[in-house]
Amino acid sequence: MIPHNDQDDQLYRLLAAVAMQDRQAFRTLYDVASPQLFGFALRVLHREDLAEEAVRDAFVSIWHAAPGYQMHLAPPLTWMVTIVRNKALHIRRRTHADADTGDGRLDIEAADGLVDPSSGPADPAQLSRDARALARCMETLASRQRQAIGMAYLHGLSHDEVAARLDLPVGTVKTWIRRGLVRLRDCLAQREAP
Amino acid sequence: MILRDLPALRNSPTLRDRLAAEYALGTLRGGARRRFETWLRDDPALRDVVAGWQERLAALAELDLPLMPPARVWAAIERRLDPAAVPPRTPWWQFWHSDAARPWGVLAVGACAAWLVLALSKTMPDMAPQSRQIAALSDAQSHTALVVTADTARGRLDVRVAEEVHVPTDRTLQLWAITRTGKPRSLGILPGNRSTDLALDARAIDPDVALLAISLEPKSGSPDPTGPTGPVLYKGSWANL
Repeated sequence: MIPHNDQDDQLYRLLAAVAMQDRQAFRTLYDVASPQLFGFALRVLHREDLAEEAVRDAFVSIWHAAPGYQMHLAPPLTWMVTIVRNKALHIRRRTHADADTGDGRLDIEAADGLVDPSSGPADPAQLSRDARALARCMETLASRQRQAIGMAYLHGLSHDEVAARLDLPVGTVKTWIRRGLVRLRDCLAQREAP
Repeated sequence: MILRDLPALRNSPTLRDRLAAEYALGTLRGGARRRFETWLRDDPALRDVVAGWQERLAALAELDLPLMPPARVWAAIERRLDPAAVPPRTPWWQFWHSDAARPWGVLAVGACAAWLVLALSKTMPDMAPQSRQIAALSDAQSHTALVVTADTARGRLDVRVAEEVHVPTDRTLQLWAITRTGKPRSLGILPGNRSTDLALDARAIDPDVALLAISLEPKSGSPDPTGPTGPVLYKGSWANL
């Protein structure tokens, strides 16, 4: 995999410098990437203090893990998002340990909100090509499919937990998620085709 | 689906894709997830399938509004990366040992306390200052959220909670006194997480109490009698009136 846009290229060069313990590059990487990652952590955690903790922990990990980062496995932003998501879900499990009954409704709406194209950034021009394509492909899914995928990805919920929240049989939820993902993949592949 | 069957996995692109998607999404759990991870180690092509899903899903993160984190986040990262520049790890309640004890932080809390003393002495003209101690408990940004007053004459500990403090319905705020040696003592939980009047425990105002703290705990209080299990939200120290 080669860098397929300017942002990836910039992040890749910064990560390579960070791998060489370049603190200046690390600061630049933070300036460039942290707003997106913080926005994402907020969506997962709904609390600024917790989102700050997730971003802090993630960047400490990024510093230590940069030498092992492999461009061919994931573009830089994907790699960093995966790290932030792991930290955020870890924090979410800690703080939601037994809070999952009260705010179920809120979770459903929040999960849907992310993948509802009308609630995305005001300016679609600011999105990368990948994200624009994803937003368009998300629109082709049924809203409950979007909800189910959002709840699993953003809130780290299992099939059983998503089924309980949506009050549906777990088999139905599994099928929805599977079909939704396949549809997403096919939609994205079509857009990438020349 | 028979997940134990490795040849089936090798020969079925549909199954590989499905498991890789579930792995990236996080819905592949338990034993199935662990088995999948062992296959991943020896199957670079399968790793690529997972990477493809991770990339598709990570684009979800871009659909959120970007927001610059506060400066303290970078400061915290730098402290983590330079442990040599930071004093030895100390429990959170021994904050005067750490760089959290910035003079301005202490001053801000002091200023809050002074302001509250003025405010309270206006609203409570009958108060007997010599028998009172007051503490303003603030969050990490020095916003005062609670005021605790110990009234030795009445044997009461009065806790006032600011209106902006919101607590999840299944959680409770618990008040602690932390000694100079760093030992927490529970002073009780705040019923309904609102202003309340607790019986004054002499251990709350013992001279060896360095500060008071509020932690967020399960409904019946910290399951650990020796200290908080949840995050510490507010802290502050006694001022004598």
